[in-house]
Parts: sequence; structure tokens; C-alpha cells
Amino acid sequence: MRSVTRRSIFLALLATASLALFTIGAIKYPSIMHRWPTQRQIVSLEKQDDWQAFGGTWQYADGVMSNNSDERGAKLMTGPEYWSNYSVDADVLLLGQYGDAGLIIRASDEEKGVDAYHGYMAGLRDLDNTLMMGRADYGWREYAAKAVLPRVFAQQWYHLKFLAFDCDFAVSATSQNGETTTIAIRDPDCIKSGRFGLKSYNTGAQWRNVEIQPATQRDLTAMIGNLQPELAVPRQLPTGSEPAPHDRYLEPIERDLQAHRSGVDAQTISSLRLLSPDAPSFVTVQGVVTLTSPMLYIQDSTGGLAIFSSHPHAPLQIGDDIEVRGDVYLHDFSSELRNADIRLLWSHTPVSPVAVAASQAATGAFDAQYVEVQGRLAEKHEDGKGTGILTLEDESQSFIAVVNGLGRSPHLDSLKEKSKLRMRGICVIDSRYTHDLTAFALLLPSSGDIEVLEGPPWWSPAHILELAICILLLSFAGMTGFFFVERWRMQAVLDERQRLAHEMHDTLAQSFAGLGFQLQAICDDVKDGIEIMPQLELAQGMVRNSHEEARRSISALRPEHLESVGLLSTLEECARRMISKSSSVEIETTSKGDIQNIPLRVSDTLLRIGYEAIANSIRHSHCSRLTITVAYGKSTVELIVEDDGMGFVVSSDSAGFGIRGMHKRADNISAHFRIDSVPGQGTMVHVLATLPPSFLRELSHRWLIQLQMRKMHDKRARN
Amino acid sequence: MIERRRDSHRNRRIVICEPSKLFAGVLLLVSLSVVGCKRAPLTVAVIPRTSGTALWEPEHAGAAAVARSVGLNLYWNAPMRDDDTQTQISLIEKSVDRGVAGIIVSPIQTLPLRTPIRRVLARDVPVVVIGTELGIPTGPKLGYVLNDEQAGGRIAARRIGLILQGEGKIAIVGIGPELKSNTVRERSFETTLSREFPGIRVVARRLGLASVPQEQHNAEELLAGSESLDAIVALSLASTRGTYYALVEFGKVHSIKVVGFDQDLIPPIRDGGIDSVVVQNTFEMGRIAMELMNHEIHGTSGSAEINVEPVLMTRENVDSAEIRQILNLSWWSPQ
Repeated sequence: MRSVTRRSIFLALLATASLALFTIGAIKYPSIMHRWPTQRQIVSLEKQDDWQAFGGTWQYADGVMSNNSDERGAKLMTGPEYWSNYSVDADVLLLGQYGDAGLIIRASDEEKGVDAYHGYMAGLRDLDNTLMMGRADYGWREYAAKAVLPRVFAQQWYHLKFLAFDCDFAVSATSQNGETTTIAIRDPDCIKSGRFGLKSYNTGAQWRNVEIQPATQRDLTAMIGNLQPELAVPRQLPTGSEPAPHDRYLEPIERDLQAHRSGVDAQTISSLRLLSPDAPSFVTVQGVVTLTSPMLYIQDSTGGLAIFSSHPHAPLQIGDDIEVRGDVYLHDFSSELRNADIRLLWSHTPVSPVAVAASQAATGAFDAQYVEVQGRLAEKHEDGKGTGILTLEDESQSFIAVVNGLGRSPHLDSLKEKSKLRMRGICVIDSRYTHDLTAFALLLPSSGDIEVLEGPPWWSPAHILELAICILLLSFAGMTGFFFVERWRMQAVLDERQRLAHEMHDTLAQSFAGLGFQLQAICDDVKDGIEIMPQLELAQGMVRNSHEEARRSISALRPEHLESVGLLSTLEECARRMISKSSSVEIETTSKGDIQNIPLRVSDTLLRIGYEAIANSIRHSHCSRLTITVAYGKSTVELIVEDDGMGFVVSSDSAGFGIRGMHKRADNISAHFRIDSVPGQGTMVHVLATLPPSFLRELSHRWLIQLQMRKMHDKRARN
Repeated sequence: MIERRRDSHRNRRIVICEPSKLFAGVLLLVSLSVVGCKRAPLTVAVIPRTSGTALWEPEHAGAAAVARSVGLNLYWNAPMRDDDTQTQISLIEKSVDRGVAGIIVSPIQTLPLRTPIRRVLARDVPVVVIGTELGIPTGPKLGYVLNDEQAGGRIAARRIGLILQGEGKIAIVGIGPELKSNTVRERSFETTLSREFPGIRVVARRLGLASVPQEQHNAEELLAGSESLDAIVALSLASTRGTYYALVEFGKVHSIKVVGFDQDLIPPIRDGGIDSVVVQNTFEMGRIAMELMNHEIHGTSGSAEINVEPVLMTRENVDSAEIRQILNLSWWSPQ
């Protein structure tokens, strides 16, 4: 029976553990279910939450995702990490020269950094007019680069398809004239799965029509035909005689030089403020682009300037160094250039922001300049066009941050109010942005220019409430646990007492009874007046006393005698049993106050002290009257045993084993114990015990009743 | 009676046997998990000024070669620009938070990195600094692997002396007090030049700027000035490139000689547009730094400051084995 139960428990545990493991697995590793996209699907470039940016200035408009920064290694990632066999299609356009742009597949562990991810990248590079493919493991390994026909042009769309099946990879680029270039690579030690994304290096770029679909061997064959995948071997660098492999690192010196022709008549931006305000002057300035949307801003070492261009120009990227000619209009702190004619000089020269306090920015001294400011987020909202509006506070200043477009790191939704933020953007005092509510506003290129320095303070009302509830629940759980433990312990004690009572009844009491009968029989048989008769009678008396003691102990051990209601009557019954028939001791019992439920431990102790006190009075005091009183207070119970006997001198020396025992028992329940006695004037034993809170007593009492009922039920069932 | 005793004995054995089986099962599971959770190799973060450049990728190759041989894992990442000090500091802090065993860093600037590195050391994480001194003395947990800037300055001065044959006027551009190594480089150059080539006069000095266009603008102003120059010494990578661009723009590539610092411009060296560049052996610096780190991690090193001699790259030796080894970018394979 026992082994069957154990087996059932074991099987139940096993089933529970298996279920738990399966559930965790299903939640944690959905790759068990879906290891590739289930069908061909167009990837939404618009849905912000699906993408995660690592560097770059990403914006979405008219179905096109643009990275307007020429950072080296800007990435925009999406998809789950467990996708393995799939292909990605996209149209790709390089915004500038001297860089590359393309697609990443099977990527994981992405971070901000030039090659900071694990995964494969394929793309178009205009440095050497190639379609290239390689692998990044926080460092770049280029496996292949193949010439694109007719060549790679900036500002022209190409269709890219990048496929991964098992450890085979294929990439193809189709130019606008229909020429297709294909590379196939086999990487025996390949990365098996990962996300996909968009990446550009050293130039801005655009992507559109991004589609992802599951890939099969047939798709691979359809893509590469008879082309046998080459084994993935990194191109060895450098060879010395051939500089081409170094291009990615060295940049194209000669081609770069072709664009390096700066204007000689350029004025500094700060000097524009000193021009005549009467009529707009026509000027030429040179500066680095610090913001492209919602307005174009440039900056040189002396200040910043807003540009309004009426002429079409190539898309500009942050970091482009441009020469601008136009009419200058003066404002209080800065100027703006209208009817501007823009000429791109060179790229890749981003300006670093100046770190200022909000109070410094509020002076207007940094108007139109690229700054870095810290503040605590007071509130946030979106204007319905994808522009985030944040209100921040820093000591005495409030300011507004306008977050442009779809930058996604971190996304606005994840920003919590009262978080401390550091932001990089253009400081403007233009009332179009400040609405004359704050001294200045910051125009941020993207939400990637927001850095969370620290979250909101933990001690919010909600958290405090949660904490209070937790403490309450924990306290309740602790008390419940304590109560149950106490219950189990007490049950064990009672069971043991019951067992002892039975043992004593069956052995000790029976033996005494037998001894008594035997002695009585001897007395009956021998004649009166023989010498041993007094000893026999003494022995009979001793056996009777011992029998009585045993019965008393047995009744004390039974829990039904320990209820408060039975305390007084049990003591009275005990006293009456002790008095011999010939004795003339008068016993009086009194109960005072409302009867309370007394915990077993307390009632047991009172009973034992009461027994001892009654026994002492009857045996030693030669009293004629014995008074037993139980008095109930609100949270106390008091036992008084008083006699009118001979009394004694109370001193520590006079305390015998019995009195010391009473003391000790009272100490165990933290009760107050006192003996008052004067020779010739009787003795009074007084015990005052404190009771626990009433609800606990109630619980304990109910449980005791249940226990007794259960025992009775068991007993009946046994019979 | 005997039968019953046997039965009871058997029963007792069954009762004893079940916990022992359970215990054995638990023991097996624990053993398997211990075997399964084989201790991952320690990770060392290597954070150069930027990555993906001819100057710093060889450091990756050198450090990776040693890391592979001693069983260390390498985390390689850096700011996307070589003037982004704040991002470099963030990378250091994040690496420490991730629990890396050590950090090898090439500071972008000397002073702003001092406190972050002190904090890393305070957390008992060993550090090897490459390229410049921070002013923190070496110790069991801090070592330096430096480009021998004294030697670099001497090499450049002697090259100038050689190509100008001891006579002429020169300008120094790209002076950068924000990096101590640059200051040492400049002082060494000027001391050697004045001592060994008193006939060569420094007629202009320009502070270094953050970007190539700014350096180009700087050099253009210099070239547009009244003073005629025979040579320009550019003390940094950006100033070397900016100077070269300015010379191209002013059509003075072959009339004014350029001696630059730090590897970047190989094609102009090949065609004589730039006379020479004093290149840092970052491959060797990365290799030594990782060896030093390995010793620091295992507590087997004393304080160390190791200088690595730079090499003059000229048209004559640009394709030599020595230069090819210095420009080694193959971080993925054993060297």
C-alpha cells in the first residue's frame, strides 16, 4: 500500500516536472515550433516596435526606410533569433559614396559598433563596384566580392536577394538594366539561425520592398543554378602589391580627393550675426550637417545655422560637410539662410555635441547648435505624425525635446516618466517648437539620440503599495505557517500524551489495582492483631495513594480534561479524591469573570500547579477548608488555591522540590507565580497567566474541538 | 516465523533501497549538470579607439592570436568614431558589468579615461592600457603597452633631416595635448631635430583638430600663408590625411614633403605623394597586451610598462614582410 502511494507520488511529480519543462521550453524556445518564417511575407518597415536600431539615423517615409547617417556599421534589426532557413529580398540604394549597404541574415548579439554582431552580411560597395558577402563575429571576414555590372552607382536602386539554407548562402544583386550578379558560399562552421536586418557602412542608404520567405534547397538551386558554392575562406589581407582588399579600411584616397574642394570665400557662421539687419545679405558658409529633418541645420566651429533650400539637392546625411550660398536673415541669437544653394563637399565628418546644462541652453547662447543636455522626463506624447514630444525638467528649467521619425533605440514607449535622460540634438529657441512655454527646445535626429541614464525613482506610490501588500501577504503567510507548525507540534504532543495515558492505564494503574486486591486478600486472610497488620494497612494505603496518583496523572494527560471549562471541575474532582473519607476538609470552588478559551499549554500548566498546590494543602497543612478559584480577565487567567492550614515561613531555603517545580512550570508559560503563607494563618498559591490574542485562542480552540471529534470518530470506527 | 522475518527483512531492504536509488539519481543529475555546465572561458574585452581601421584591426589580430592560444574569450568592440570618448567609456563600464575577466583599452583621450579606469581597477578587474599613459602607476592589475613615442619622434626627425639634407623650414601640425602620447611624440621630434639638425627650422605649429576636414582646413591656411615650407610633419592620422588633401588641393604634393604618423595612407606612399609614415606596430601591441592580461588574470605578473618600437613606412618598404606583418588584419586565424 505504502509503495503504491510512493509510486503514485513519484509519477505525479514526474508528470508535473515534464509539464513544467515543456511549458518553459515552449515559452522560452519557440524555435522548437517555428524554425523559419511560415510563409512569404512583406516586412513592414513602418511598424516601429518590430525594429531595433544599433546606430544610424533611421527614418521611414513613403514605403522607404532611410538611414541618413554615414556611421560605420549602422544596423536596423528585426525578426526572431531562431529563424534558420530563409531568404530576404529588398531594393537597396546607396545615398553617398565610399561605403556599402545591404542585408544581414542569421544575426544575433547585435550591439552598437562597426561589426558588432554575429551573422552574415551581403551588400553593394561602390569603392570597388562589387557585390560582397562575409561574416561578422565582432570583426569582419569577407568571403567574396564580385564585380557588379555595369557598376555600383550611388542614388540608384538595386534589387538584393540574400538566402540561407543549411550552411549554404547565396546572394544576388540585380541592377536596373537587368544584369544580375550572384555569389554562393558554403560555410561549414556556419551560424545556424538568427535575425535579419539592414546595414550600411560609411554611407547613408535606403531600403524598400523588404520581403522574407522560407528557403528550401530548391530555392537555393533556382538562385545559383549550376554555380557550386565556394568554401568560405576569408580574403587574406593585405597582399602588398594589391591594395584593393584594404579599401574597406583605408577609404578611397584618390576618389575622396575628387570631392575635396572647399570654397575659399566662406564666412564663419557666427560672423553672420554681425551683418546688417536692414536687408538680407547674400553669403557663402561652410558647415557640417547636424540635422536633416524637420529642418536642415549645419554647424561650423563658431556656431549653428538653419537652412531653407528652395533648390533641389541630393539627400544630405548627418556628418556631410556642405557649402551653402543664400540670403541670410538674422534672429536674436542665430541666423537662417533662405533660398539656399547647397553643394556637398565631403562626407563622414560628424560634429560632436557640446555638453551643456539646461540652464546654459536656456540662455540662448547655444541656439542652432548641436548640444547634449540631461533632464528628467516629465511627460511624453506623440503628435500623430510619428513625432515624439517629450517634456523634461532639470533643476530650474523645463524644456521640450522633439524626436523626429522612427529612431528606435530606445523606443519612446519604453521611456518611463521621471527617468533621467541624456539627449543629443539641436538646441533651438524657435517658438514653433517651444510654443513660448519653455526657454528652448531640442530637435533630436532620432530616438536613438536618447540615452537613459537612470530609471524613475523606485519609491513611487504604486511601488510602495505593492511593497505594503507584499509585506502583508508575507506576514499572513508567516503567521499561517507558524500556526500550522504549532498545530502539528501540539498534535504530536497530544498524541503522545494520549498514548502515555493509555499505557499508564493499561499497566501502572492495573498493577496498582492488582496490588491493592492482593494486599486486601492478605489482610482478609490473616487474623486481626498480628504483628504485620499495621504494615499491611500502611502498604494498602500507599498502594491506594499511588493508584490515585496514577489515575490523576492519566486524567491530566487526556486533552479533554484540559479545556478551560473543565479546569476548575477537574481540580475540584482531584481535591475530593485526595481527601480520605474520614477527613472533614471542606472544599469550595469559585469561578470569576467570563469563561475564556485557554490554550492547552496554559491550562495544562495551571492544572499541574493546581494539583501540586492541592496535594500540598491536603497532605501537609492540616487544613479544614480549601478554596480553589479560577478568575478570567480579558487577557489573563488567574488560579488561586488557598487553605486555612498551619502555614509555613516562605523562603528560598524552605522551597522543596514541589514548590520549585511549580515555579518552573509558571516560568515556562511566562506566568506570574506567588506563594503567600504565614505560620498558623494558612497558605495561598497564586498563578497569573497572560493569554494570547482572542482570535488565536479561538482558532486553537476550534482545532482542539475538531481534533477531539476526529478522535472520537476514529474510536467509533475502530469499535 | 523465519519466512516472516525474511519478508520483513526484504521489505526493509526495499524501503532502504528507494532513497538510495533516489540519491543515486540526484547524484547522477548533479554530475551530469556539472559536466554539462563546463566552465566557460574567461572573457577579455579589447576596446580600441575605434574598430575597422588599418590602425586598430591589427591589434585585434594580435590579441586574438594570443587569446586563442591561452584559452581566453575575446570581446572586441569600439566606438564607431575615433573621437567618441563617451562611447568608449560606456563600453568599458558595460564590459565590467558583464563580468569580463579583464580590459585592454586604447584611450581616445588621456584625462577623461583616468577615472573610469581607476573605477575598473577598484573592482579588481585587471586592465592593460595600450598607446598612452594615463598617469595611474602600474601595478599587479594595471599594465601599459605603449608605442615608443620617443623613438617615433626620433625616427620622424631623422627622416626629415635625411630628406631635407639638414637644411630647410618645416611646419608641425596635429599637436594634440589631449593625448599624452602625442605630446611625447612632438617633444621627442623637436628635441631630436634641434639637436641633430640645427639647420632645419620649425616655422609653424598647429594644434590638432578632431576631423580630417578640419585638419585639411588647418593645413590649407598654413599653405596659404607667407612662409614657404619644405616639409610638414603631421603628428596624427587625421592631420596626415588632412595635410595630404591640402597639398593635393594646392598642387604641392611633390614640392612639400610630408612625414606623417599612424598607418592609413598606403596609396600615396606608393606613388610618392607622402614621403613616409611612422607606423605603430599595433599587431605586436595587441599581442603583448593580451599576454600581459593573461598574466594579470592569473596573478603571475608584476607591474609592467612595455614599449613597442614603431617603424618608418616608406615607398621602399611598404610591401616588405615587416610592414605586412604590422598591417595584418587576419584576426580569425592563428598567426
